[in-house]
Amino acid sequence: MTYVLETERLGKQFAGVPALSGVDFRLAPGTIHALIGHNGAGKSTLVKVLTGVHPAGSYDGEIKLDGQTMRFGSPAQARANGISYVPQEIQVVEQLTVAENVYVGQTGLARGPLVSFRELRRRAAELLARLDVPLDPSTPVGALSATQRQLVMIARALATDPRVLILDEPTASLAGRETDRLFGVLNRLRETGVTMIFITHRIPEVMRMCDRATVLRDGRSVAELERAAFNERDIVAAMVGRRIEALYPRRESVPGEEEVLRLEHVSVPHPARAHDVVRDVSFRARRGEILGIAGVVGSGRTELLSAIYGRLPHSGTICVEGRERKLRGPADARRAGIAMLTEDRKGSGLLFNFALRENVTIGNLGGIARWGVVDRRAEGRAAQGFVQSLQIKAPSASADVAHLSGGNQQKILLARVLMNAPKVMLLDEPTKGVDVETRQEIYRLIIELADRGVTLLVVSSEIVELVGICDRCLVLADGAVVDEFARGEGSEARVIEATTTAAPPVGEVLA
Amino acid sequence: MTLMQRERSGAPAPAGAADAGAVVAAPSAPNRLRRALAISEAGVLVSLAGLVLVFYLLEPAFLSGTNIRSMLTAISFVGIIAVGQTLLLVAGEFDLSVGSVAGLSAIVSAWLMAKGHLPVPLGILGGLVTGALVGLVNGVLVVGVGIPAFIATLGMLYAARGFTYVITNGYPIYPLPKVIGNIGSSEVLFGLGWSFVILVVLAIVGDLVLRRTTIGRNLFATGGNEEVARLVGIDTRRYKVVCFMIVGALSAVAGMLVLADGASGTPSIGTGWELTVIAGVVIGGVSLFGGVGTVAAGIIGMLLLQVVQSGLVVVGVNPNWQTVAVGLIMVLAVGVDIARRRVSLTGGARKRRAPAETAPATEGA
Repeated sequence: MTYVLETERLGKQFAGVPALSGVDFRLAPGTIHALIGHNGAGKSTLVKVLTGVHPAGSYDGEIKLDGQTMRFGSPAQARANGISYVPQEIQVVEQLTVAENVYVGQTGLARGPLVSFRELRRRAAELLARLDVPLDPSTPVGALSATQRQLVMIARALATDPRVLILDEPTASLAGRETDRLFGVLNRLRETGVTMIFITHRIPEVMRMCDRATVLRDGRSVAELERAAFNERDIVAAMVGRRIEALYPRRESVPGEEEVLRLEHVSVPHPARAHDVVRDVSFRARRGEILGIAGVVGSGRTELLSAIYGRLPHSGTICVEGRERKLRGPADARRAGIAMLTEDRKGSGLLFNFALRENVTIGNLGGIARWGVVDRRAEGRAAQGFVQSLQIKAPSASADVAHLSGGNQQKILLARVLMNAPKVMLLDEPTKGVDVETRQEIYRLIIELADRGVTLLVVSSEIVELVGICDRCLVLADGAVVDEFARGEGSEARVIEATTTAAPPVGEVLA
Repeated sequence: MTLMQRERSGAPAPAGAADAGAVVAAPSAPNRLRRALAISEAGVLVSLAGLVLVFYLLEPAFLSGTNIRSMLTAISFVGIIAVGQTLLLVAGEFDLSVGSVAGLSAIVSAWLMAKGHLPVPLGILGGLVTGALVGLVNGVLVVGVGIPAFIATLGMLYAARGFTYVITNGYPIYPLPKVIGNIGSSEVLFGLGWSFVILVVLAIVGDLVLRRTTIGRNLFATGGNEEVARLVGIDTRRYKVVCFMIVGALSAVAGMLVLADGASGTPSIGTGWELTVIAGVVIGGVSLFGGVGTVAAGIIGMLLLQVVQSGLVVVGVNPNWQTVAVGLIMVLAVGVDIARRRVSLTGGARKRRAPAETAPATEGA
């Protein structure tokens, strides 16, 4: 069989760490090909190589389109050669009409310096008819629902008549019935001969829609399946692998009995749309307990932590040590003894106009100031104390934080959190972008904190990590708790099964 | 493993204090040199000294007592506002309405004393309250409503000046109580008036607040990254609003000092100050992007601007060239600011560390 798109021993490294190694990916014409894998499996990297985001020369191996080796220098080149990409986030210009959105950025339609809007509308109408989408090309996109916007994005990707259409988790922001509609459109496209790569982590969707599937794990292609051989269990098994590591230190002690944090029916509304990103979550956490929260990106796990930290408006009740707390902002949460370590070190963690020491102390200036004047010596001692106890590798306490490694930056933020001696610590991806050695140190720190009676909520994309260090683990999917297990009862397979087979919420109204 | 040794130490245990202090307090010689160069004031101070020397060599009268006094007096009014503007810029906002607010506050104060026949202290208080209230409105518009500072305070620039003309109908308000004229004409220090003394006091206080206090630290955090500041529990909105109010009140002080200087309530007081103030502090290295700068540097920047303007006059350059020079210097200063940010902050770091940041662990799939 000749393949439309093929990769040969595709490899890609970031700073010496392989993100893809020896991936052979083959795409048969006229098929919908699923690309499955957990977070960090290499799906995004593969797509970025295929679409020219990572240009030729930055990866090893070859990409072949219709048997010809391609060297894309940019996304525009990849697009010109027939590889179209529909990103996961819906990117439309709300002020423009459907037709304008479909042809945004395309210059072929201009007559001289002017755009013929009639021609634009005519072509858009044709394209939408081909998709069997009943949309008026002159409707402003701002008035459309999520699915309709998604369809506009697909129409935009199709407007260049691509050889291959890559759909990145197209159902991530859609509710059940909306997904059905999208699938109807994809089926139609397949009938007209369009070849598609369908990225997802929802196995039922793979079973329902796809002709072939490639499973990625740790940057390798670990399984290539034909539709006849599709089997939910096999796919989960391939995603999980059998990676057993002695990486996780054992906790010798047991958590206390006393309840420290209690959530009752906590929901977080979506900032723009009429559904909740966290749906009716209730749980209790005891003193000194390490409670893991598993779930894929977008499952509502970060939003759940943010709600507990007062960053997001929420309904329901949050109690700390039996007392109900109204958490309207981070300041309220801090008063209640809650601290949070952000997932986004650059965006909401480090202050780049501050040196290391000021970054550590900014959350607790009261502890090192007298009558409002910062005691520079006490500050230096406090910062230096953390540099030593957390083994932060920096030239001095007044070092510039921008030039430190991810692991050391993370330790600085941990120091900031620790300086407040919190009762409850919310850790969002504490080991993300951190070297192996620092990971171990962070695990040990988590256990040590728990031993001292701090209650920890740990969110992580790495399931083995949660299974390894947590006393108990909740599994989130689409904003709701879909599974819960205690230490020793959970496994990576159990979590993946829970997150991949959960049905998306139904009954949400099409806008 | 002593990982946990002092996670609760707001004030850390004395055990590790000695060696900790050693590392922090005793930098090696090259380290000390680097730190001296890193002081934000150093660059602008050197430029200032260089300019003064050039003008002095071209025309020794540049450093005559009279010229020095006249330059210092000239920056006193705007310098007072620059103190507040620096605090506001550090917190990540700026105020274009300062000149109009100075004029409005001066006129309100003059009106209260001349037409309202209120005692002088109440007249001054009235001016101060006017300035602070306008600052409050600016703050609420920017922080509460979310109108960009550029638009909100530009609107206020027009509105406040308009009010000034509504109140005065374009005519100066006089006679003012005698005390006011006396305040304006008295020489307090080396033949310099109250305005200079007030500038010095405010500059020292402002500099110490920004450099040494928790308030100052929180302002730097707010301007450095507001989201981070909020997450560590800083009420960034209140800090910003208060800064707007301080700028308004200091504008009022400056406006009323001009009022005293001329012993008459001229409605044009403060016209054009907004850009002088922003140009000056930005030349001093106070970042337009927030989170970087000191009051001392802001004032030195104001001084540099004045030295250029005055120096060009003294050496006999056509006065029209002054304006060109001010423009060029400001663009240059902001260019340097941006270059410095790119090198020392995130940008430079991004270049060096980009691969690590996009390591596979951070790849969402």
